[in-house]
Amino acid sequence: MSLLVSEPDVTIIVIVYNDAGRLAHAVRSALDQSLAGVEIVIVDDASTDATPRVAERLAAARPDRVRVVTLPENSGGCGRPRNVGMDHANGRYVMFLDSDDTLDPHACRNLVTAAEETGADLVCGRCVRVQPEREQNWYPFLYRESRVLTSISDEPDLLYDTLSTNKCYRREFLDRENLRFVDRLHYEDLLFSAQAYVGARKIAIIPHRVYNWIVVPRAGTLSITHRRAELRNFADRLEIHRRIDATFRLRGAIDLIKRKNVKFLNHDLLLYLRELRSRDLEYRRAFLDLAQAYIETMETAVFEECNPMMAIAGYLIVQGDLGAAMAAADHAPRKDIPPTLSIGPVERDGRIYWSDAYLGTELGRRILDVTDLGIHSAPLGTLTLGGRLTEARQAGRELVLTGDFVNPLGRIGAATELTGKLEIRDRRRKGRAFRVPVTLWHEGDRIGWRTGFTPARAVRPIGLVDQTWGLWLRVNAGEDTVSVRVTSPRTAHENVVVPVRPRLTRAVGDHLEAYVADSGELALRIVGRRFPARTVLPPLRGLARTNLGVKAWQVLTRAEKRLRKGLTGRTTKITVFNRILVRLPVKKGTVVFESHLGAQYSDNPKYIYRELRERGTPHRAIWSYSTSKQGFPAEATLVRRESWAYYRALARAEYWVDNQGFPAGLTKRRQTTYIQTWHGSAYKRMGFDEPSVKQSTWAEHVRRRLMTARFDHFLVRSEHDVRTLATGLGVTAPMMRAGYPRNDPLVNGGDPEETAALRGRLGLADDTRTVVLYAPTFRTDDSDRPAPRFSPPFDLDRFAREFGNSHVLLVRAHYLSTAVVPPGLRGTVIDVSGMHDVTPLLLLADALVTDYSSVMFDYALRDRPMIFYTPDLDEYVLRRGTYFDLAEHAPGPVVGDEDELFAALADLDRVHRDHAERRRRFVELFGEYDTGTAAKAVVERFFSGGRRG
Amino acid sequence: MAEARDIFIVCNNVEELGGLQRWAHHIARLFTERGHRVHLVGVTHADDAHDYGEDPPYAVTVLHERRPKPRSGAVSRLAHRATVRRGAARLSALFRTAAPGGIVIAAQVWAMEWVARADTAGMPVIGMSHESYAATRQSSRYRRVKRHFARADRLLALTQADADAWAFDDMSNAAAMPNPLHVTPASASPRTEPVVVRLGRLSFEKGQDMLLEAWSEVAVRHPSWRLRLYGTGPEEETLRRQAAELGVAASVEFPGPTSDLETALTGASIFALSSREEGFPMSIIEAMAYGLPTVAFDCAPGVRELLTDGHDGLVVTPGNVTAFAAALERLMDDEHLRDSLGDAAGISVRRYAPDIVIDRWERTFTLVTERAARTTIA
Repeated sequence: MSLLVSEPDVTIIVIVYNDAGRLAHAVRSALDQSLAGVEIVIVDDASTDATPRVAERLAAARPDRVRVVTLPENSGGCGRPRNVGMDHANGRYVMFLDSDDTLDPHACRNLVTAAEETGADLVCGRCVRVQPEREQNWYPFLYRESRVLTSISDEPDLLYDTLSTNKCYRREFLDRENLRFVDRLHYEDLLFSAQAYVGARKIAIIPHRVYNWIVVPRAGTLSITHRRAELRNFADRLEIHRRIDATFRLRGAIDLIKRKNVKFLNHDLLLYLRELRSRDLEYRRAFLDLAQAYIETMETAVFEECNPMMAIAGYLIVQGDLGAAMAAADHAPRKDIPPTLSIGPVERDGRIYWSDAYLGTELGRRILDVTDLGIHSAPLGTLTLGGRLTEARQAGRELVLTGDFVNPLGRIGAATELTGKLEIRDRRRKGRAFRVPVTLWHEGDRIGWRTGFTPARAVRPIGLVDQTWGLWLRVNAGEDTVSVRVTSPRTAHENVVVPVRPRLTRAVGDHLEAYVADSGELALRIVGRRFPARTVLPPLRGLARTNLGVKAWQVLTRAEKRLRKGLTGRTTKITVFNRILVRLPVKKGTVVFESHLGAQYSDNPKYIYRELRERGTPHRAIWSYSTSKQGFPAEATLVRRESWAYYRALARAEYWVDNQGFPAGLTKRRQTTYIQTWHGSAYKRMGFDEPSVKQSTWAEHVRRRLMTARFDHFLVRSEHDVRTLATGLGVTAPMMRAGYPRNDPLVNGGDPEETAALRGRLGLADDTRTVVLYAPTFRTDDSDRPAPRFSPPFDLDRFAREFGNSHVLLVRAHYLSTAVVPPGLRGTVIDVSGMHDVTPLLLLADALVTDYSSVMFDYALRDRPMIFYTPDLDEYVLRRGTYFDLAEHAPGPVVGDEDELFAALADLDRVHRDHAERRRRFVELFGEYDTGTAAKAVVERFFSGGRRG
Repeated sequence: MAEARDIFIVCNNVEELGGLQRWAHHIARLFTERGHRVHLVGVTHADDAHDYGEDPPYAVTVLHERRPKPRSGAVSRLAHRATVRRGAARLSALFRTAAPGGIVIAAQVWAMEWVARADTAGMPVIGMSHESYAATRQSSRYRRVKRHFARADRLLALTQADADAWAFDDMSNAAAMPNPLHVTPASASPRTEPVVVRLGRLSFEKGQDMLLEAWSEVAVRHPSWRLRLYGTGPEEETLRRQAAELGVAASVEFPGPTSDLETALTGASIFALSSREEGFPMSIIEAMAYGLPTVAFDCAPGVRELLTDGHDGLVVTPGNVTAFAAALERLMDDEHLRDSLGDAAGISVRRYAPDIVIDRWERTFTLVTERAARTTIA
């Protein structure tokens, strides 16, 4: 019996054009909906393949649910088929599905339920981009929770989600607003969504996954015709945007135009600019003309609200400077890829600007000011520089590549020794790379590079699984290592085809061919130019793109990932440590040192180590470092934290010395003595006294207790430590009341030569100004990690104005952060965040400004002026909890605003005089055991027995 | 009235004294009152059974007389599998007795393992998560929920926030269903006794240790006030010792467990919820129903769903004992605040009135049975 569902809840319009292979899959996902009342209208856009037959078969199998409508001629887009589908829809609600995608089984039920419960005209659900190797949420921040909006103005960011497919429309609403797709223009979704958003009286959002957008990776680069089409597409996109503007204007939603334009710059423009590197000059000129004409129409407020790098890009396009605009896009934030600096910024009047042109207007200066990026002061190693290939020459089997890269603000000095390697990396998967040496030289304001190598010997891909390879430079400039991303701006890379021998034999490819990826990066891909690869490779690739191939690939890559994780993962290492490594014999006389989880060579472990070295005891010292060996003592054995060598060293060590904690889960063997020095006395609550720890689960409590239970000795500097820190951390080990080794120099005055050398390094050799150290406690971002960029909560310009002649300010943020100091303040404000050890700074500083940092307890030993700048004291006390009342005990003024801070700085003598007694009492209370002999005491107690290995 | 259905509620056990079991017996009674035929099923017996009343108006079945052993090792895993199969067979037999339109509710994920292996005879299965998403996420239950509940027709969480979290985590069957109010106070608390009350197992999760710490910060300044910790549990000795160490033993009472909610709540003026983990805290609902203002750690979305900070309770950052003490003191010092929050609580808790919640359940039943029904017609 054929019975059409009377008044279905939802009509799902499935549009299809020449997609016989996947249509059934899409329709099946619509038929399998958990909601019962679903009808399906397949609109065939005049397909010429087997699609009509497939569609008819589907309709014949479920005549009650599936109908087919065929267009008389192909429309070339999605608009007309969807419109025709809407004309045939009987459902109270309408949804759209493309033939290559699928719906979640509960999509209709969730969307319709939300619509019924809220009365919304439009319900939006979460879309997931499904790629062979991973899944990615589409604008997840919009879809974290269920919401109901009475207007798009409540959440203008919804404009970012321009898809028409992850939504459910009340049919009444479509008719009321006369909502239809435009025909003959690409990006019809953008306009349709915008119109739906402004037309809806109520919009509901649900976090449920509703739509699977199946993404098939595009192979290789585009043909010329394809690129021309792309330019037409861009023109279409702009036309759509103009119409959206008109729609919003008609509704009087001027603010939405601005928000949408912000999105245009942040998103649409960025996509095009990034791909521009792989396009030719003619294309770029045409692109510039189109973009310029549109961006010119935007109000300037758009530049203020969008991402600063994209504001620069937009502004520079209006100025006609496409090169600098593309460079701005290279530096725009991007997931997993570091921002690349592909042009050198300039310094003018103490600020850094992206470009030296266009600084004539206030607006230009404001937009192009990039001082806050810290390009002038960030450690060179943290920058990724943009480089290019200028010439590629092929001599037989050898390949000679020449190019250059930027030297921003001349940061790589002419005298710097330059060495480097060209890395040829697997583009799809991290880890696999081949390296060849490069020669480097200074060349005007850029750095030149050249390399010659034989690819057939230097590069050995597996074949099939690693078909594309990216080119990167790793340059050692003095002590820093810089990454350089290589692009090919012109035609240098063309005609580079060199022989290669994949490990899976030449049947899967015999040559490497250079090309420019859509990201603009120069890359190599395996091609088959001769028999058998020429015949074997294309069908193999075709096979890999079928559903089965994609599935098989998924299984393979996931298995590989699991295997790799299993072999090198932390859990594996810890298990091996506990079961095997600790059975190895202990190496008598070995000491593993670690400070702040390997981040630094500093603090108590450093000063114990120094004492050990000075005495020349036969102990073997091993230092753990987390990322870079830089700054660690060369004469010690260095092991990277969490490497196999690290675990081996820990397992066999006679002593562990650290100030925070060795990896949780490691069982310390009885023969190893663990000296926990800790890294400061406590003002704020610590360990189990901290709210976040206190409320944590039993498992977490146990994990922490086990970590603390490993301590054999716990170093303290006062009874205050015993009462607060030791209790809070749950220390069961005996207290060692010796004081802090790191504070010995503070009591003894330190080494004057070292202090003088530090002065020299900071450029303060003959400076007589008062040195003020600003060292606040570190701040975390929302995810509890130290914020990467720190800016002091007071006006640095004002400090320079008022105290530039009399004071120097050293700013020390957390060791994982950097403070950006504008170059105009150079000499008056100095960022010292990167220094491992704070003790030399405490020796140097004439006064200290801090807030809640434990540095207060150490610096008090110097008996010099201290100021507590605590604008957020009440909130901090309530949020974090503290062990004592700061105002009651502080050995200096506690000030809440900038004026008070500056007044105190202006009269430091007075601060010193007025608080002399309080400082004395403070040291007595919190530093009674710091008598300058701590390192000696520790070494004599543990290391003077002269054990040797 | 809606269509009468066979409703099977499958729990780990239905005999223990706990929030889940109380909910199960209560909802079974409410469904029965609407004319449904309810079958309450426990996978096992409880170690110590609580008395949920003689002759309930619904059927109660226990699948296994002896508790299935925890599985480890290949042999006992096989044995376990055989046990589950036997239990599932009993369930299948039970399910076959249902008339069309029946519903299976798997109230816990462990119980779901049995339901998953049983033949549900075409009945839709509703899975439930009786704790917060965050709590599940941290435990081994997470993977089991993802695996066993993925195919359920609906996965009901206790709050919208938890349902959203599950939905965002690709459980597209997620939706929210609150617990119904299960007390009918004869009268609200007069809020005259200077007593802060807490009911609940004396255990680490319930965080009475943090409450004692907070209490020690305010008790000195309020000598006439008492803290009353009803309940019993593994931490009782530790807590008594802690109270003594903090010097508040004199003002803290441990009256033991009680089933007389009315006396416990009308004899107090403030309710304190100091838990580390919660789902949809029934004890807050009870306190609200008796017109008590609550001070609570924001330890689960359920707390936020029940209480609006400053309107019908005070909500504090989890683990922040100082802030908890400050909130307690605010209420102890201010009779008017106690009255206004308490009265507001009594009113706002009515949104969980049984009728409202059962209506919602019946709408869900219609939703999940609809497809089956339509398919049959077509």
